[in-house]
Amino acid sequence: MDDDPSRRGQPSNHTIFGVDMAILAGDALFPLGFRHIVSQTPPDLVPETRLLRVIAEIARAVGSTGMAAGQFLDLEGSTNAVDFVQEKKFGEMGQCSAVCGGLLAGASDDEIQQLRIYGQAVGVLYQVVDDILEAKVKKEENEEEKKKSKSYVSVYGVEKAMEVADELRSQAKKELEGLEKYGDKVLPLYSFLDYAADRGFSFTPPV
Amino acid sequence: MAFSTLSTYSSNTYIPKTLSPINRRHTIRCSSSPISTQFDIKTYWTALIKEIDQKLNDAVPLQHPKPIHESMRYSLLADGAKRAPTVMCVSAFELFGGNRVAAMPTACALEMVHAASLVHNELPCMDDAPSRRDQPSNHSKFGVNLAILTGDSLFTLGFRHIVAQTPTDIIPHDRLVRVITEIARTFGSTGMAAGRFLDLEFEPNTANFVREKKFGEMGQCSAACGGLLAGASDDEIQRLRKYGKSVGVLYQIVDDVLEAKTDGERKKEGKSYVSIVDDVLEAKTDGERKKEGKSYVSVHGVERAMEVAEGLRSQAKKELDGLEKYGDNILPLHSFVDYAVDRGSIDW
Repeated sequence: MDDDPSRRGQPSNHTIFGVDMAILAGDALFPLGFRHIVSQTPPDLVPETRLLRVIAEIARAVGSTGMAAGQFLDLEGSTNAVDFVQEKKFGEMGQCSAVCGGLLAGASDDEIQQLRIYGQAVGVLYQVVDDILEAKVKKEENEEEKKKSKSYVSVYGVEKAMEVADELRSQAKKELEGLEKYGDKVLPLYSFLDYAADRGFSFTPPV
Repeated sequence: MAFSTLSTYSSNTYIPKTLSPINRRHTIRCSSSPISTQFDIKTYWTALIKEIDQKLNDAVPLQHPKPIHESMRYSLLADGAKRAPTVMCVSAFELFGGNRVAAMPTACALEMVHAASLVHNELPCMDDAPSRRDQPSNHSKFGVNLAILTGDSLFTLGFRHIVAQTPTDIIPHDRLVRVITEIARTFGSTGMAAGRFLDLEFEPNTANFVREKKFGEMGQCSAACGGLLAGASDDEIQRLRKYGKSVGVLYQIVDDVLEAKTDGERKKEGKSYVSIVDDVLEAKTDGERKKEGKSYVSVHGVERAMEVAEGLRSQAKKELDGLEKYGDNILPLHSFVDYAVDRGSIDW
């Protein structure tokens, strides 16, 4: 697929365990996710109905109209699809995570929609900013762009990518404004958005 | 004629929740025949196949991106699929007197996750199968990348389908959750994935049923899901599990026996006597040899394999004995076992 020998400095699964094991590991992690939700969520706190909605949401996000679709188009490599690919590969995960939080809490349909748009925007924003930062570094080191995937930056250039990042930031903020009645509880979601955009701090790497 | 048509079971019959012998069509029993020869399994099964194929077709429309969905449809709607997981699930559900409409989404989901598993198993790095039932395997036609995504997509679709399509006025949510858990467990790291791992690890000619176990897991899961949907007792679910497991394994053993027999017959022409098993091993490609060397038949031979199959048949039937109170609702499950074993001699 992407043929990545490593991720965040760690050798990728197939590099260490082989392709066959990597496929099995992926195939086993999926159902474990669903099993984990069911076996570990306290039933007195979350009714089964909500669990089912969460399961359906995750299945949708990962499936043939979600992340798998993004992966596929990414592999095809057409520059026309770069927006779609970004949305599907990164937006879906963000969307799904935020929505699942809302579903578990029994949020209203409107609120779920707001979380969806927020999550989608943050997901894509995070990736666009990643690409921008990478492009800046590469420029300094004069490296050649060898990545298989097309990024906003490689298709539209750094300046346009930064415009897109700003737009996404506003979009996400607007949704959070609609959730203002929850007072300080919205703060983490704001901070998360700011981090995605500014990377105001870095995580200390493990010793 | 092997199957009598005196007692017919229409697939469109709505079975009332409490099945009283007085309310249904009177059946004529021949005391010397085993129970299932009065049941028209052919009609029952072909009608079910038709129904499930239609539902599966509707479940995967050709939406954007087309190639993924085309690939999903290719593997899911393969010609000649017998839909064994479906039959096990629906028959197990109908045992308790429900309307199959409620079980169909789960039955469909089982076909989807089953198909997903097969697509991944056939990959070059796994079983390396170029074809299945004379149809090119998914990766042969669409490439490895798309095959991987297709398997992933079919698997997740299964779970989505159960939640989106099961009528929740008929099936309470807690049962759906149990079904989802059952399927997730079956395919996870202690179920199928473990089996597939062992399949990769073991040297050929180690007879340990590893390959057959995978089908036992599928059968077990399907039958259990039917029972879970119907709200069966824990005891009953256990029986269905054991039944499903036996049938799954024996189905595969007989499949291999039939394959060995036809290949052997082909090879025997113009040759002096050679064992069927040797011929079979000789004729296969690398990938097929990988598979063959691990099947019970290729290691122990046809005769011993059939003995094992008969043993499994008795085992399966024994579990059904404990469910006799459901009367004629049990006929499909009985017939399914007999079909699995005897189908070599039946003209379909």
